[in-house]
Amino acid sequence: MTHTTDKAWQHPEVQLAGGGYIVAYLAGLALMGLSLWIVHEHALAPMDTGMAISLVAGLAALVQCILLLHLSISETQIWHTVTLILFIPLFILTIGLTSWMFHGLYRRTMLMPVAHVSAPAAHAQASDFARNSK
Amino acid sequence: MSTATSGTLDAKRSPMWSLGHGHDAISTRTLGFWLYMLSDAMMFTALFAAYTVLGHAVNAAGGPWATTVAHPEVAFKETVWLFSSVLAYGFAMIALKKGHRGGVMLGITAALLIALGFLSVDIHEILHLFRMGATPERSGYLSAFFTLVFYHGLHVVVGIAWMLVMLVQVAFKGLSERVVYRLLNLRLFWHFQAVMWVFMFTFLYLRGAIV
Repeated sequence: MTHTTDKAWQHPEVQLAGGGYIVAYLAGLALMGLSLWIVHEHALAPMDTGMAISLVAGLAALVQCILLLHLSISETQIWHTVTLILFIPLFILTIGLTSWMFHGLYRRTMLMPVAHVSAPAAHAQASDFARNSK
Repeated sequence: MSTATSGTLDAKRSPMWSLGHGHDAISTRTLGFWLYMLSDAMMFTALFAAYTVLGHAVNAAGGPWATTVAHPEVAFKETVWLFSSVLAYGFAMIALKKGHRGGVMLGITAALLIALGFLSVDIHEILHLFRMGATPERSGYLSAFFTLVFYHGLHVVVGIAWMLVMLVQVAFKGLSERVVYRLLNLRLFWHFQAVMWVFMFTFLYLRGAIV
Protein backbone atom coordinates (compact mmCIF):
# COMPACT_ATOMS: atom_id res chain seq x y z
CA MET A 1 0.00 0.00 0.00
CA THR A 2 1.32 3.37 -0.90
CA HIS A 3 -1.45 5.55 0.47
CA THR A 4 -1.58 6.27 4.16
CA THR A 5 -3.37 8.74 6.35
CA ASP A 6 -3.43 9.44 10.06
CA LYS A 7 -7.20 9.58 10.35
CA ALA A 8 -8.32 6.61 8.32
CA TRP A 9 -11.23 6.09 10.72
CA GLN A 10 -12.82 9.22 9.23
CA HIS A 11 -13.39 7.30 5.98
CA PRO A 12 -17.04 7.44 4.79
CA GLU A 13 -17.44 3.64 5.08
CA VAL A 14 -16.42 3.78 8.74
CA GLN A 15 -18.75 6.70 9.34
CA LEU A 16 -21.71 4.57 8.17
CA ALA A 17 -21.68 2.76 11.55
CA GLY A 18 -24.51 3.74 13.87
CA GLY A 19 -27.60 2.85 15.83
CA GLY A 20 -28.96 0.78 12.95
CA TYR A 21 -27.03 -2.17 14.39
CA ILE A 22 -29.31 -2.30 17.44
CA VAL A 23 -32.42 -2.09 15.24
CA ALA A 24 -31.03 -4.88 13.03
CA TYR A 25 -30.35 -7.01 16.11
CA LEU A 26 -33.82 -6.56 17.57
CA ALA A 27 -35.57 -6.95 14.21
CA GLY A 28 -33.51 -10.05 13.37
CA LEU A 29 -34.34 -11.74 16.67
CA ALA A 30 -38.01 -10.76 16.46
CA LEU A 31 -38.37 -12.08 12.91
CA MET A 32 -36.54 -15.33 13.65
CA GLY A 33 -38.66 -15.69 16.79
CA LEU A 34 -41.78 -15.17 14.68
CA SER A 35 -40.68 -17.92 12.28
CA LEU A 36 -40.00 -20.24 15.21
CA TRP A 37 -43.45 -19.48 16.64
CA ILE A 38 -45.16 -20.17 13.29
CA VAL A 39 -43.45 -23.56 13.06
CA HIS A 40 -43.93 -24.41 16.73
CA GLU A 41 -47.61 -23.58 16.92
CA HIS A 42 -48.46 -25.17 13.56
CA ALA A 43 -50.42 -21.99 12.92
CA LEU A 44 -50.57 -22.67 9.17
CA ALA A 45 -50.73 -25.62 6.79
CA PRO A 46 -47.26 -27.08 6.03
CA MET A 47 -47.11 -25.51 2.55
CA ASP A 48 -48.23 -22.14 3.89
CA THR A 49 -45.79 -22.43 6.78
CA GLY A 50 -42.95 -22.94 4.30
CA MET A 51 -44.02 -19.88 2.34
CA ALA A 52 -44.46 -17.76 5.48
CA ILE A 53 -41.06 -18.53 6.98
CA SER A 54 -39.43 -17.99 3.57
CA LEU A 55 -40.99 -14.52 3.39
CA VAL A 56 -39.90 -13.74 6.95
CA ALA A 57 -36.35 -14.89 6.11
CA GLY A 58 -36.33 -12.64 3.04
CA LEU A 59 -37.49 -9.71 5.15
CA ALA A 60 -34.88 -10.40 7.85
CA ALA A 61 -32.12 -10.65 5.21
CA LEU A 62 -33.29 -7.37 3.66
CA VAL A 63 -33.24 -5.60 7.04
CA GLN A 64 -29.74 -6.91 7.73
CA CYS A 65 -28.47 -5.95 4.27
CA ILE A 66 -29.66 -2.38 4.79
CA LEU A 67 -28.77 -1.90 8.46
CA LEU A 68 -25.73 -4.16 8.92
CA LEU A 69 -24.14 -4.15 5.48
CA HIS A 70 -25.24 -0.54 4.79
CA LEU A 71 -26.42 -1.30 1.27
CA SER A 72 -27.83 1.81 -0.36
CA ILE A 73 -27.55 3.86 -3.53
CA SER A 74 -25.19 6.39 -1.94
CA GLU A 75 -21.90 7.05 -3.74
CA THR A 76 -20.02 5.10 -1.07
CA GLN A 77 -22.15 1.95 -1.28
CA ILE A 78 -23.66 1.91 -4.77
CA TRP A 79 -21.40 -0.83 -6.16
CA HIS A 80 -21.84 -3.03 -3.12
CA THR A 81 -25.59 -2.75 -3.67
CA VAL A 82 -25.47 -3.32 -7.43
CA THR A 83 -23.35 -6.46 -7.07
CA LEU A 84 -25.68 -7.89 -4.43
CA ILE A 85 -28.75 -7.19 -6.58
CA LEU A 86 -27.04 -8.94 -9.49
CA PHE A 87 -26.19 -11.84 -7.18
CA ILE A 88 -29.80 -12.46 -6.11
CA PRO A 89 -30.98 -13.91 -9.49
CA LEU A 90 -27.94 -16.22 -9.45
CA PHE A 91 -28.90 -17.37 -5.95
CA ILE A 92 -32.49 -18.09 -6.96
CA LEU A 93 -31.58 -19.67 -10.32
CA THR A 94 -28.94 -21.95 -8.84
CA ILE A 95 -31.25 -23.38 -6.20
CA GLY A 96 -34.36 -23.29 -8.41
CA LEU A 97 -32.80 -24.95 -11.47
CA THR A 98 -31.05 -27.60 -9.39
CA SER A 99 -34.30 -28.46 -7.62
CA TRP A 100 -36.20 -28.54 -10.91
CA MET A 101 -33.62 -30.79 -12.61
CA PHE A 102 -33.52 -33.27 -9.78
CA HIS A 103 -37.28 -33.22 -9.36
CA GLY A 104 -37.50 -34.44 -12.95
CA LEU A 105 -34.68 -36.91 -12.45
CA TYR A 106 -36.30 -38.38 -9.35
CA ARG A 107 -39.57 -38.91 -11.22
CA ARG A 108 -37.81 -40.69 -14.08
CA THR A 109 -35.18 -42.72 -12.25
CA MET A 110 -36.23 -43.19 -8.63
CA LEU A 111 -39.02 -45.64 -8.01
CA MET A 112 -41.18 -43.15 -6.18
CA PRO A 113 -43.97 -45.63 -5.28
CA VAL A 114 -41.29 -47.67 -3.52
CA ALA A 115 -40.13 -44.50 -1.84
CA HIS A 116 -43.65 -43.87 -0.61
CA VAL A 117 -43.96 -47.44 0.56
CA SER A 118 -40.63 -47.19 2.33
CA ALA A 119 -41.51 -43.86 3.90
CA PRO A 120 -43.25 -45.52 6.88
CA ALA A 121 -40.18 -47.70 7.33
CA ALA A 122 -37.99 -44.61 7.29
CA HIS A 123 -40.36 -42.96 9.71
CA ALA A 124 -40.20 -45.97 12.00
CA GLN A 125 -36.39 -45.89 11.99
CA ALA A 126 -36.46 -42.16 12.57
CA SER A 127 -38.77 -42.73 15.53
CA ASP A 128 -36.29 -45.27 16.94
CA PHE A 129 -33.59 -42.64 16.52
CA ALA A 130 -35.73 -40.09 18.34
CA ARG A 131 -36.37 -42.55 21.17
CA ASN A 132 -32.67 -43.34 21.49
CA SER A 133 -31.81 -39.65 21.57
CA LYS A 134 -33.91 -39.10 24.69
CA MET B 1 -10.16 9.46 -13.88
CA SER B 2 -10.35 7.80 -10.49
CA THR B 3 -7.34 6.22 -8.88
CA ALA B 4 -8.91 2.77 -9.16
CA THR B 5 -9.19 2.99 -12.92
CA SER B 6 -5.82 4.64 -13.41
CA GLY B 7 -4.20 1.77 -11.50
CA THR B 8 -2.28 4.00 -9.08
CA LEU B 9 -3.04 5.17 -5.60
CA ASP B 10 -2.68 8.86 -5.00
CA ALA B 11 -0.09 9.35 -2.25
CA LYS B 12 0.13 13.11 -2.58
CA ARG B 13 -3.49 14.09 -1.91
CA SER B 14 -4.60 12.83 1.46
CA PRO B 15 -7.19 11.75 2.43
CA MET B 16 -8.84 11.12 -0.93
CA TRP B 17 -12.36 10.64 0.44
CA SER B 18 -12.31 14.24 1.67
CA LEU B 19 -12.05 15.28 -1.98
CA GLY B 20 -15.16 13.38 -2.91
CA HIS B 21 -13.50 10.47 -4.73
CA GLY B 22 -15.34 7.18 -4.41
CA HIS B 23 -12.44 4.88 -5.28
CA ASP B 24 -9.78 5.49 -2.66
CA ALA B 25 -7.56 2.74 -1.29
CA ILE B 26 -9.97 1.70 1.47
CA SER B 27 -13.05 1.68 -0.79
CA THR B 28 -11.25 -0.33 -3.47
CA ARG B 29 -10.18 -2.96 -0.96
CA THR B 30 -13.58 -3.26 0.71
CA LEU B 31 -15.30 -3.57 -2.67
CA GLY B 32 -12.81 -6.29 -3.66
CA PHE B 33 -13.48 -8.15 -0.43
CA TRP B 34 -17.23 -7.71 -0.87
CA LEU B 35 -16.97 -9.42 -4.28
CA TYR B 36 -15.08 -12.25 -2.59
CA MET B 37 -17.90 -12.52 -0.02
CA LEU B 38 -20.43 -12.84 -2.83
CA SER B 39 -18.40 -15.70 -4.34
CA ASP B 40 -18.46 -17.27 -0.88
CA ALA B 41 -22.23 -16.77 -0.90
CA MET B 42 -22.30 -18.75 -4.17
CA MET B 43 -20.65 -21.61 -2.27
CA PHE B 44 -23.48 -21.42 0.25
CA THR B 45 -25.94 -21.32 -2.64
CA ALA B 46 -24.48 -24.51 -4.12
CA LEU B 47 -24.66 -26.22 -0.74
CA PHE B 48 -28.27 -25.08 -0.24
CA ALA B 49 -29.08 -26.43 -3.71
CA ALA B 50 -27.50 -29.78 -2.80
CA TYR B 51 -29.43 -29.80 0.48
CA THR B 52 -32.68 -29.08 -1.36
CA VAL B 53 -32.08 -32.07 -3.63
CA LEU B 54 -30.87 -34.42 -0.91
CA GLY B 55 -33.60 -33.27 1.47
CA HIS B 56 -35.98 -35.75 -0.18
CA ALA B 57 -37.01 -38.59 2.14
CA VAL B 58 -35.49 -41.13 -0.27
CA ASN B 59 -32.03 -39.79 0.59
CA ALA B 60 -32.45 -40.49 4.29
CA ALA B 61 -31.72 -44.15 3.40
CA GLY B 62 -34.00 -45.31 6.19
CA GLY B 63 -32.05 -43.32 8.75
CA PRO B 64 -32.78 -40.13 10.66
CA TRP B 65 -34.31 -37.37 8.60
CA ALA B 66 -34.90 -33.64 8.99
CA THR B 67 -37.64 -34.03 11.60
CA THR B 68 -35.25 -35.76 14.01
CA VAL B 69 -31.93 -33.97 13.43
CA ALA B 70 -33.15 -30.38 13.05
CA HIS B 71 -33.82 -28.84 16.45
CA PRO B 72 -35.25 -25.32 15.94
CA GLU B 73 -35.10 -24.39 19.64
CA VAL B 74 -31.37 -25.11 19.84
CA ALA B 75 -30.87 -23.29 16.53
CA PHE B 76 -32.69 -20.26 17.95
CA LYS B 77 -30.22 -20.21 20.87
CA GLU B 78 -27.44 -20.16 18.28
CA THR B 79 -29.27 -17.30 16.52
CA VAL B 80 -29.21 -15.25 19.73
CA TRP B 81 -25.48 -15.95 20.23
CA LEU B 82 -24.52 -15.11 16.65
CA PHE B 83 -26.67 -11.99 16.34
CA SER B 84 -25.32 -10.77 19.70
CA SER B 85 -21.76 -11.25 18.47
CA VAL B 86 -22.59 -9.32 15.31
CA LEU B 87 -24.07 -6.53 17.44
CA ALA B 88 -20.92 -6.44 19.61
CA TYR B 89 -18.79 -6.09 16.48
CA GLY B 90 -21.14 -3.28 15.41
CA PHE B 91 -20.30 -1.51 18.68
CA ALA B 92 -16.63 -1.90 17.81
CA MET B 93 -17.38 -0.17 14.49
CA ILE B 94 -19.19 2.66 16.28
CA ALA B 95 -16.10 3.09 18.49
CA LEU B 96 -13.95 3.09 15.35
CA LYS B 97 -16.15 5.81 13.88
CA LYS B 98 -15.17 8.00 16.86
CA GLY B 99 -11.52 6.94 16.72
CA HIS B 100 -11.68 5.19 20.13
CA ARG B 101 -9.07 2.49 20.05
CA GLY B 102 -10.04 1.05 23.44
CA GLY B 103 -13.70 0.85 22.40
CA VAL B 104 -12.73 -0.99 19.23
CA MET B 105 -10.76 -3.56 21.22
CA LEU B 106 -13.56 -3.95 23.76
CA GLY B 107 -16.16 -4.50 21.03
CA ILE B 108 -14.03 -7.04 19.20
CA THR B 109 -13.27 -8.90 22.44
CA ALA B 110 -16.98 -9.08 23.27
CA ALA B 111 -17.81 -10.24 19.73
CA LEU B 112 -15.11 -12.90 19.97
CA LEU B 113 -16.27 -14.25 23.33
CA ILE B 114 -19.92 -14.34 22.27
CA ALA B 115 -18.91 -16.11 19.04
CA LEU B 116 -17.21 -18.75 21.19
CA GLY B 117 -20.59 -19.20 22.90
CA PHE B 118 -22.20 -19.80 19.51
CA LEU B 119 -19.50 -22.29 18.63
CA SER B 120 -19.90 -24.20 21.91
CA VAL B 121 -23.66 -24.64 21.33
CA ASP B 122 -22.98 -25.67 17.72
CA ILE B 123 -20.35 -28.25 18.68
CA HIS B 124 -22.49 -29.59 21.54
CA GLU B 125 -25.40 -30.12 19.14
CA ILE B 126 -23.21 -31.82 16.51
CA LEU B 127 -21.67 -34.17 19.09
CA HIS B 128 -25.15 -34.98 20.39
CA LEU B 129 -26.25 -36.00 16.89
CA PHE B 130 -23.07 -38.03 16.38
CA ARG B 131 -23.64 -39.94 19.61
CA MET B 132 -27.13 -40.82 18.37
CA GLY B 133 -25.70 -42.26 15.17
CA ALA B 134 -26.58 -39.33 12.91
CA THR B 135 -23.21 -38.95 11.20
CA PRO B 136 -22.44 -37.45 7.77
CA GLU B 137 -21.70 -40.82 6.19
CA ARG B 138 -25.03 -42.30 7.34
CA SER B 139 -27.01 -40.96 4.36
CA GLY B 140 -27.04 -38.45 1.54
CA TYR B 141 -29.41 -36.28 3.53
CA LEU B 142 -27.10 -36.17 6.55
CA SER B 143 -24.08 -35.47 4.32
CA ALA B 144 -25.81 -32.39 2.93
CA PHE B 145 -27.04 -31.33 6.38
CA PHE B 146 -23.66 -31.59 8.08
CA THR B 147 -21.80 -30.05 5.14
CA LEU B 148 -23.87 -26.87 5.53
CA VAL B 149 -23.48 -26.90 9.32
CA PHE B 150 -19.70 -27.46 9.09
CA TYR B 151 -19.27 -24.86 6.36
CA HIS B 152 -21.01 -22.20 8.41
CA GLY B 153 -19.14 -23.31 11.55
CA LEU B 154 -15.86 -22.98 9.65
CA HIS B 155 -16.74 -19.38 8.87
CA VAL B 156 -17.30 -18.69 12.55
CA VAL B 157 -13.92 -20.25 13.40
CA VAL B 158 -12.23 -18.10 10.73
CA GLY B 159 -14.04 -15.03 12.06
CA ILE B 160 -12.83 -15.74 15.61
CA ALA B 161 -9.23 -16.20 14.40
CA TRP B 162 -9.47 -12.99 12.36
CA MET B 163 -10.76 -11.09 15.42
CA LEU B 164 -7.77 -12.32 17.43
CA VAL B 165 -5.43 -11.08 14.71
CA MET B 166 -7.19 -7.70 14.57
CA LEU B 167 -7.00 -7.33 18.36
CA VAL B 168 -3.23 -7.66 18.12
CA GLN B 169 -3.03 -5.28 15.16
CA VAL B 170 -5.20 -2.61 16.79
CA ALA B 171 -3.14 -2.91 20.00
CA PHE B 172 0.25 -2.57 18.29
CA LYS B 173 -0.45 -0.57 15.11
CA GLY B 174 -3.35 1.62 16.23
CA LEU B 175 -6.06 2.75 13.81
CA SER B 176 -3.84 3.09 10.76
CA GLU B 177 -5.26 2.86 7.25
CA ARG B 178 -4.20 -0.79 6.89
CA VAL B 179 -5.86 -1.71 10.17
CA VAL B 180 -9.02 0.27 9.34
CA TYR B 181 -9.66 -1.41 5.99
CA ARG B 182 -9.05 -4.81 7.58
CA LEU B 183 -11.56 -3.94 10.31
CA LEU B 184 -14.04 -2.94 7.60
CA ASN B 185 -13.45 -6.19 5.74
CA LEU B 186 -13.94 -8.15 8.95
CA ARG B 187 -17.19 -6.21 9.47
CA LEU B 188 -18.36 -7.32 6.02
CA PHE B 189 -17.33 -10.90 6.76
CA TRP B 190 -18.88 -11.06 10.23
CA HIS B 191 -22.11 -9.27 9.42
CA PHE B 192 -22.50 -11.44 6.32
CA GLN B 193 -22.50 -14.49 8.60
CA ALA B 194 -25.66 -13.13 10.24
CA VAL B 195 -27.35 -12.89 6.84
CA MET B 196 -26.30 -16.44 5.96
CA TRP B 197 -27.50 -17.67 9.34
CA VAL B 198 -30.99 -16.35 8.58
CA PHE B 199 -31.13 -18.80 5.67
CA MET B 200 -29.48 -21.60 7.67
CA PHE B 201 -31.99 -21.19 10.51
CA THR B 202 -34.97 -20.99 8.17
CA PHE B 203 -34.19 -23.61 5.54
CA LEU B 204 -32.13 -26.08 7.55
CA TYR B 205 -33.73 -26.04 10.97
CA LEU B 206 -37.25 -24.60 10.63
CA ARG B 207 -38.10 -26.28 7.32
CA GLY B 208 -36.62 -29.46 8.72
CA ALA B 209 -39.18 -29.35 11.51
CA ILE B 210 -42.16 -29.03 9.16
CA VAL B 211 -41.34 -31.57 6.44
